[in-house]
Amino acid sequence: MLVEQIINGVVLGSMYALIAQGYTLIFGVLDKLNFAHGEIFMLGGFVCLASVALGASLPVAILITAIISGLLGLMVEFVGFRKFRSADAHITAALSSFAIGLVLIDLSQKVWGAEPVALTLPGSLQTATITIAGLKIVVLRLAILVISLLLMLVLYLVVLRTGLGRRIRAVAESPAKAALFGINVTRINQQVFVIASVMAGLAGLALAVRTGYSSTDVGFTFGLKALAIMAIGGMGDLRGALLGGLLVGVIEALAFQWGVGQFADVFVWLFMIAILLLRPAGLFGTLVSKEIRA
Amino acid sequence: MMQDYIVFVGVNMVLAWSVYVILLAGSLSFANGGFMAIGAYASGVLTVKFGMPLIPAALIAGLIAGAVGVLVGFPALRTRGIYLMLVTVGITVSVKAVIESIDYVGGIQGFGGMVGTRPWHVIALVILVGCGLWFLSKSPLQRILDAVREDELSAASLGINTVYVKLVCLGVGAFLAAVAGSFYAHHLIHVTPDQFGIVVSVFIVLYAVLGGTNNMWGPPIGGVIMTLIPEVVRGLESWRPTAFGVIILVLLLIRPDGLLAFRDVTTRAKKIW
Repeated sequence: MLVEQIINGVVLGSMYALIAQGYTLIFGVLDKLNFAHGEIFMLGGFVCLASVALGASLPVAILITAIISGLLGLMVEFVGFRKFRSADAHITAALSSFAIGLVLIDLSQKVWGAEPVALTLPGSLQTATITIAGLKIVVLRLAILVISLLLMLVLYLVVLRTGLGRRIRAVAESPAKAALFGINVTRINQQVFVIASVMAGLAGLALAVRTGYSSTDVGFTFGLKALAIMAIGGMGDLRGALLGGLLVGVIEALAFQWGVGQFADVFVWLFMIAILLLRPAGLFGTLVSKEIRA
Repeated sequence: MMQDYIVFVGVNMVLAWSVYVILLAGSLSFANGGFMAIGAYASGVLTVKFGMPLIPAALIAGLIAGAVGVLVGFPALRTRGIYLMLVTVGITVSVKAVIESIDYVGGIQGFGGMVGTRPWHVIALVILVGCGLWFLSKSPLQRILDAVREDELSAASLGINTVYVKLVCLGVGAFLAAVAGSFYAHHLIHVTPDQFGIVVSVFIVLYAVLGGTNNMWGPPIGGVIMTLIPEVVRGLESWRPTAFGVIILVLLLIRPDGLLAFRDVTTRAKKIW
């Protein structure tokens, strides 16, 4: 029972980590908080729901969700961040992205209503289980865990091993210097937003498929928690976002196991404050480069 | 009906000012909805369960919220400004979750029985806060705040304790939000934790920002306009989030440096030059 709860926590945590990686990528490159990220995550679930309702199969729905989330990310970058690129505009950027988030929530409530909408997939995909070493595990959860870990691994390799990743890291280090070396900073910003938003959208899809419904308030409940996870892991650090996500997922699952589930949100934020007290740069962050820039 | 308008407009003016006070030292707070909840519930418990009069109860509630703000804000302020934004989001989310789970104050069903807010309470509060801020803007303290907001590093090198200044602003802002929240609750009679969520916090920030935060008159004007427009234009109420979002985006895009950048020197300095 306890082991099953921990596995549930890890699956939950992998979804947190997917969102937190997007937050941390955008924060690392632009040094700004993107408050609209949680709403792209929320819309991911609804896009999947809509495309399944229109008769698409799950792989097609995943593809559609990825494309639409990427486009939304481009939109957020253009409306909310393009004009607020200077270093002291982080309040303005936070407000403009929050405003985009408000509009996205309100519009999706106009379309789908404020109540959760059920998402049923054909076949027994949502209920099939396998037994590994005496533990009954829902196949779907295992698939979500494996796929999100793979996605994060790919992102990590892209950032650390490819030309695109080198350009992203250069812009994160200093946009001005990167521009001097002939890097198109705007293009890199767009690419970062697309990557982050696709991951958020897929996380939203995973949540919708796992729980069986999508709801317009997950951006505020789930998405904001990922923001705390990013700070726990160290802002701008991909490994930190992954570890923080898994940690918080397990903590939350254990909180429900021990009957204090209603305080799960509070634990996460208190954990973040404690981390800020003990390690101001988060679990993995290094104070040096970022702090000088601030 | 008139009473409703006076109370809501006055409360929103004070809430906008509570965000403005925190912004004076350069930090943005999404916690004022949470502080409002603390104010509403703490004063409600004091008046309903202990029979205390409204005004001392509101003041005590304000002090409690101020203490919470200072305690929770301190670790964040030691690092970077952006962390405070995160912590304030956390305050609002946590306060709501905690209140929802306390049966003593009705949990998710909400807490009722608060009465006693008269329009003159709110009017007096607005005048008091307004006078206080006006004296502040004429005092040397304003220059310290300007220095901290514009450039923390040089302010610190001039011997200003920037963390202390920011902490005091956060505490005062929390106090104001909580007092406004307690008057609000004692007008509504029944409140639920849902009324003080993160969206409310964002709306309060938007009141202040829409009005303009370069001087003390902008935020209350934003509060008044944003409270009255949905009342006047029928049917706009349900479109309020979208309208708010679009208006704020347009304003920020048209004047990217105008609304929040604080490039103006204080009015008094302008007069001298």
